[in-house]
Amino acid sequence: MLEWLSGDPLNGAIITITFFISLIIGKYIRMKRTASGYRGKSIDQRIKLIVLFFLIISITLMTHWYTPMGISMVCILISIRTNIFQEYSRKLVFPVVLSLFIIVIQGLTYGSTKIDLGIISVYKEGFEYGFLVFSRVFAATSLTILMLSTASETEILDTMRWYRIPAALIDISSLMMRYIKAFSTESRKMKRAQESRCGFSGSCGFRGKMHNLASISGALISRAFIRAEQVYIAMISRGWKHDQGSFSRLRSLNNSDMIMGFVLSAGIIILLGIDRAL
Amino acid sequence: MHISDGILKPEWVFFWFAISAIFIALGLRIINKRIKEDPVYLPRIALLGAVVFVISVWHIPVPVTGSSSHPVGTPMASIIIGPFATVVISAIALFFQSFVAHGGLTTIGANTFSMGIVGTFGGYFTYRLLKNISPLWFSAGTAGLVGSIFTYMTTALELALSLNPGNVMHYWELYSLGFIPTQLPLAFAEFAFTAYVIKYISETGSMEKTAVSCPLDRFTKTALLLMFSILSIIAIGAYVGYLDGAKMAGTDGIVETQAAPSASPDGIGVRLMALLGEPLGFAMVGITGGLFTGYFLSDLRRKK
Repeated sequence: MLEWLSGDPLNGAIITITFFISLIIGKYIRMKRTASGYRGKSIDQRIKLIVLFFLIISITLMTHWYTPMGISMVCILISIRTNIFQEYSRKLVFPVVLSLFIIVIQGLTYGSTKIDLGIISVYKEGFEYGFLVFSRVFAATSLTILMLSTASETEILDTMRWYRIPAALIDISSLMMRYIKAFSTESRKMKRAQESRCGFSGSCGFRGKMHNLASISGALISRAFIRAEQVYIAMISRGWKHDQGSFSRLRSLNNSDMIMGFVLSAGIIILLGIDRAL
Repeated sequence: MHISDGILKPEWVFFWFAISAIFIALGLRIINKRIKEDPVYLPRIALLGAVVFVISVWHIPVPVTGSSSHPVGTPMASIIIGPFATVVISAIALFFQSFVAHGGLTTIGANTFSMGIVGTFGGYFTYRLLKNISPLWFSAGTAGLVGSIFTYMTTALELALSLNPGNVMHYWELYSLGFIPTQLPLAFAEFAFTAYVIKYISETGSMEKTAVSCPLDRFTKTALLLMFSILSIIAIGAYVGYLDGAKMAGTDGIVETQAAPSASPDGIGVRLMALLGEPLGFAMVGITGGLFTGYFLSDLRRKK
């Protein structure tokens, strides 16, 4: 345990000194920033979205499970620190279930080296490959959840406009965004009202429940059509027109944004390089 | 079940994006044309997009398995607003769903292909086929059922192609079987749901407002129908061959010995195929032949 003390004291001294000096410097930087009210430079949404896309692509190119798992651990720590861990873990359920399903299928069917687990035997290669996919999904989804939880829908739409996404697509998206909220709230209310009238009680049976659910949806869609048309006509009469662009124009990317983009891209390449070299 | 980020390999991410982009572009063209004629069409399709979003994140308890899953909603939307517009709204719905970690950003192309293209067109063609020979609720319900099953079979194929390229058919079968316990009951739930909703909407008269005349002419429709029919025959044949143990061994030997025994092994066709690779070579042949025939077909008809 103490071999470094007798055999390599210089390295031990260096690591001790650098660690504690960095610790002190870190502490003072934090104090200074807190005192001046500095909350860190936020990354531009346009840079964030493109970097996120390429980071996820690079994760799918990683060949060792521990690099994506390392990224996942960092994401978990950030989610705890920013008080969004509960939401983060709730959103992770679906992707994790899908990737567990992949582990099971790969472990049971792919490979040649069998490991006997008593009741069943699994393939070593399949299990390793499945676990690699699992770690990639965990990391990629964690990043998506964290990145998108800090962006508002309007900002994302403006970013899409900046990337020259067709105007019709953005107009439909912006209307959809509003309708999704209204539709979800209304459908929940109607479902509760139906429930209070025993519309989903056990005696209804599957057919009855489905009939009631579909009736709510049908009524909601029919009514929403009329309402959406009325609101849209009102919007047009107040000067809104299709394909008119955004009210909140995005500023052009400045040098610091570009530098941030390059730094993050370089980071992705280095991360991928480290994974490949391991 | 949507495919999450991190599962598909980059080449498949871009491949599914490219395929979906073609359909989205066609859909946008049709939507823009329709908006010019009827501006109120925009909120209608946006509303249906919201419906698709809500339906496909709406977890319904699945009987038998005791688990929960979600319907796709795209066959229903395609019956109301047409298949091409449905492709566009499902792509947007999938984009918004990635915000709640349902699907992913890099897998929007793949998920659009399964849910927005295969599910939509599968459901829509089923509806069109059955519309005139069965009650409306039955044709709509069957469209929902077929669309749902097609969506999950395509998802299974996408997984098999990316994760197990060496043995695609075997893993396609495995992934499809894995989805069955939750998705088969759900497909029947989608049958009931789509049937009731379409019946309700048609009774209230809302369908007439949104009903779309098919933007394709008769020639295009016939060509598309022929294409899907031939593809179905090929897919069934390939599957039967796979079950018989053919393992996609190819037919080069049979063609060389029986169909063209005197063909030169150094001919231009062989050299072109070697140069381009078989998939690209056959694609080139298809494109050239299709363009040539399409271009001169009207002349041939006129001469008749």
